[in-house]
Amino acid sequence: MTRSGSVKVPDGKLVEVTLTGDERIESARVTGDFFLEPPEARAELEAALEGKPLDVDREALVEAIEAVDAQFIGFDADHLAEATMEAIA
Amino acid sequence: MNLRVVDSGTYSEPVQQALERVLIDRLGDGEIEPTLRFWYRDGPAVPLGRFQAYADEVAADYVAKHDVDVVRRITGGGAMYVEPGAVITYSLYLPRSAVSDDVEASYAELDQFAIDALRDLGLDVRHEPLNDIAHPDGKIGGAAQLRTDDAVVHHTTMSYALDIAEMLRVLRIGEEKVSDKAVASAEKRVARINDHVDASRSEVIETMIDTAGDSYATVEGELSESTLADARTLADEQFATDEWNRQL
Repeated sequence: MTRSGSVKVPDGKLVEVTLTGDERIESARVTGDFFLEPPEARAELEAALEGKPLDVDREALVEAIEAVDAQFIGFDADHLAEATMEAIA
Repeated sequence: MNLRVVDSGTYSEPVQQALERVLIDRLGDGEIEPTLRFWYRDGPAVPLGRFQAYADEVAADYVAKHDVDVVRRITGGGAMYVEPGAVITYSLYLPRSAVSDDVEASYAELDQFAIDALRDLGLDVRHEPLNDIAHPDGKIGGAAQLRTDDAVVHHTTMSYALDIAEMLRVLRIGEEKVSDKAVASAEKRVARINDHVDASRSEVIETMIDTAGDSYATVEGELSESTLADARTLADEQFATDEWNRQL
């Protein structure tokens, strides 16, 4: 099934996560009006979420997202983790 | 720093967006001078942010029926509705060494000449972080940037006399059922230059070229034939394709 979650960063951007998978995150799509340098790192953010069990804790998500070598502009790893937690809740 | 000012050339939306890629790459390769370009469009369009989902932003049936060209940008940020003559879009292509590494500060710095021009015309505008130009009545414009190793493109679109009712039909922020009401109502608040000043669109652009001259040594110029040929090819291969525009 497809699940989604989104976070509107106060005075910032919208980050939306759309996931598939029943026990684990099989595929993840990260969209929104944020900025990311380099832009190609969006695929790495998605890869950081994929494979995580649906009962993953938030800390583990933040750690995986922060391991991506990119500059997040208008959002941070916590926001993407929060949107992901909402999607898997 | 010298700044070439290009204030001519009407292109389709895919060619406009392809030019952003071509010009940032040419500047990074040292093939062109730092440049300020004003855009002239040939039809209504939606420049979509690089990371936005097409279906989330655009009323797909409406844009298909009304020939609104939806083109994904190389830059992040949000979708806008644009019409020829009703918005002012400009791009700055600069060496990375000339732009602050602090991204938030650089948005304010690179929009400053435009804010100065609008203030000279009597408009009460200010930079609003991260990337907006704001008026007490609402948002006048928004900017977006892409950085490569050697170059930065900073492009900004401001509403001059945009048809807000049409914007709300084209963009899904106009739909009542859009889930995040707070976002929708905030984004609907668009302020238009022409509601507050007497100046024509070309007078606003002339004023902007004047204020750019306060910070840079400006010289008039135009895009080369080879730049345009590259942009037209890239438009056909990428910016006019569903594969790029509907990738998300």
